[in-house]
Amino acid sequence: MSENDGVKNMATVEEISSFENGNSGPNKQAQSADPSATQESESECIAPTRKRPETKPPSEPVTSVLPDEGPKSVDKDPVSKQVPQTGWGYWGNWGKSLLSSASATVATVGQGISNVIEKAETSLGIPSPTEISSETQNIGDTNVKAGSVYKEDGNTSPMGAALGVFSTISTAVQSTGKSVITGGLDALEFIGKKTMDVIAEGDPGFKKTKGLMNRNSTLSQVLREAKDKEELRTANEVTMDTEKKAHYGLLFDEFQGLSHLEALEMLSRESEIKVKSLTNSLSGEELENIKLDLEQIKEAFSLAELSDEDDDEKKEDEDFTTEITELFSQLHVSTRPDKLTNARNTVHEWIRMSSSKPLTEEEEERKQIELENSEEEDKKTIEDIHAFAIQSLAELTAYSIEMFHKTAALILHGQKQEITALKRSKTLSQMTILLCKELSSMSKEFATCLTAVGVKEKADVLNPLITGVFLEASNSASYVQDAFQLLLPVLEISLIQSQIESSQSK
Amino acid sequence: MEAIWLYQFRLIVIGDSTVGKSCLIRRFTEGRFAQVSDPTVGVDFFSRLVEIEPGKRIKLQIWDTAGQERFRSITRAYYRNSVGGLLLFDITNRRSFQNVHKWLEETKVHVQPYQIVFVLVGHKCDLDTQRQVTRHEAEKVAAGYGMKYIETSARDAINVEKAFTDLTREIYELVKKGEITIQEGWEGVKSGFVPNVVHSSEEVVKSDRRCLC
Repeated sequence: MSENDGVKNMATVEEISSFENGNSGPNKQAQSADPSATQESESECIAPTRKRPETKPPSEPVTSVLPDEGPKSVDKDPVSKQVPQTGWGYWGNWGKSLLSSASATVATVGQGISNVIEKAETSLGIPSPTEISSETQNIGDTNVKAGSVYKEDGNTSPMGAALGVFSTISTAVQSTGKSVITGGLDALEFIGKKTMDVIAEGDPGFKKTKGLMNRNSTLSQVLREAKDKEELRTANEVTMDTEKKAHYGLLFDEFQGLSHLEALEMLSRESEIKVKSLTNSLSGEELENIKLDLEQIKEAFSLAELSDEDDDEKKEDEDFTTEITELFSQLHVSTRPDKLTNARNTVHEWIRMSSSKPLTEEEEERKQIELENSEEEDKKTIEDIHAFAIQSLAELTAYSIEMFHKTAALILHGQKQEITALKRSKTLSQMTILLCKELSSMSKEFATCLTAVGVKEKADVLNPLITGVFLEASNSASYVQDAFQLLLPVLEISLIQSQIESSQSK
Repeated sequence: MEAIWLYQFRLIVIGDSTVGKSCLIRRFTEGRFAQVSDPTVGVDFFSRLVEIEPGKRIKLQIWDTAGQERFRSITRAYYRNSVGGLLLFDITNRRSFQNVHKWLEETKVHVQPYQIVFVLVGHKCDLDTQRQVTRHEAEKVAAGYGMKYIETSARDAINVEKAFTDLTREIYELVKKGEITIQEGWEGVKSGFVPNVVHSSEEVVKSDRRCLC
């Protein structure tokens, strides 16, 4: 890692800044007043999912974040006044500034990459990946406070008055503040985007995540490119074991995630075209009615009710299976999420088996002796855990997307069901939240597992692995949310068609 | 995970509902027979590597389509990007055999300007006592369309491997002869990462040894 030179680091900084520019586009989209305008192309279609605390006024130049800005200066930061800040978003913001200072420093002084990573990690307020799982509880408490404080700010926000969509976003963000887990995801996504370039230099296997920055292409294109690159790499290089085992993109494809995503994109595109032509053919009262209903569906797709079931958070593991099955049955489509639940249960079983319980000193000693006696013990290495974590994330993401694809196919071509498109939209939105939470909590479990097993490892060995898991978890959650957004036109067309049918039968 | 393959072929599996398309594919890709299976929704995806010559692997991406009429508009979209196809009928279901013509007509319309190399598959050949289609007449129909004919059973694992590998070989020969070419914007055949990378590294190792000598 240390042989990374200044040149590479320079490139990193450039990439970060170009990403900032690129990203301001979608944000602009999301904040523009007409939500229907966001449906015009593939890339814009994806944009609405980026409703994270990092949302900022498009006009804000990146450079306004001064390198020496610390947590205390946030209040003076114009951004924080205008943009809703949750607890996570709050530190996220200063974390961002520290990060840019970190990379800037590197560019000029030419510090080693490992320093940057460390800086990135610490400055982000994710103190060290190893602590993350234990600390979330505390942060959660502050979150609630931060969320409520912000609420007042949000109401007086001049931006909120100016932009129609903004209120929706702010509710989404507000509620995010209440949720530890979703908040955690925001943080993860944030780190993901900001540090991936930095980390990619030192840690193979992340490189493809750069693709995420290019939001002009469809999600499957991004993922396909990533996979192809990885294939090329594996074919060309005989690389380290960890690297070979833990290619998220390749694994995602292996589980047919890409194919299902493409299939879903296809259905989404077709539906979008139909929605346009049908709404164009309507007029007068009929059109007005449908427009109202379409708005409601869009609302459901904004993931605005994020907080509702967060209040009774910390349900135990087993509930995911029950919950997702229950939600899925509410969709009234003739298939089941078995693949997903089975895979998820396998993962949890694995974690349970391989995470070593915290040992008392006495036990520790005994363990030491045991280890000496049987070095060959069926003990998982941190590399094993990392590889399995990445694989599991890829698997669950692929199956989630498959589930969305099947749902789309059945909504479009299934037997008629006595359920409204709006109800389905709401259920799907709940499912998305549940899936993202699951990915997040799973990554935490893997992190705990890695920390426990790798307690004797050096931080620069262990930390990149943990960061890697969190990164891919955050990416996974983004993919799931992006795939969920692809369902919007499908629900819209199903709504329009059922309305036309019912008006014809009258 | 084996990432090294010469080509990737996309194959589509079509035929009437309940002739056993999914079961055949799962036997081929997962090596097991699923006793009960729900009807396919839209389209499903499977993949497997096939070694056609020693060291020469082809990655097969297999598109499992729903036989049900209501999904036809979805499945149609997949013809165009397929290089090969297995057209299945159930030898115990005469109607599924009669529909073979319809299937071929439909693909013809939707595959333009490309073409698909088809093999006709008489499935469920373990149920010979309930047979409603003789091998002879199936062969005749297949020959009429220039297809090969093969009888398979997913339950008893008869000819499953052969059905897929024969088709793969046939396509491979056409690709080698240049009758099927890789084209921009067409996903039927894609070039993989040639295993000569492996050879070259072997050579490097060898030459290194020589140097040491």
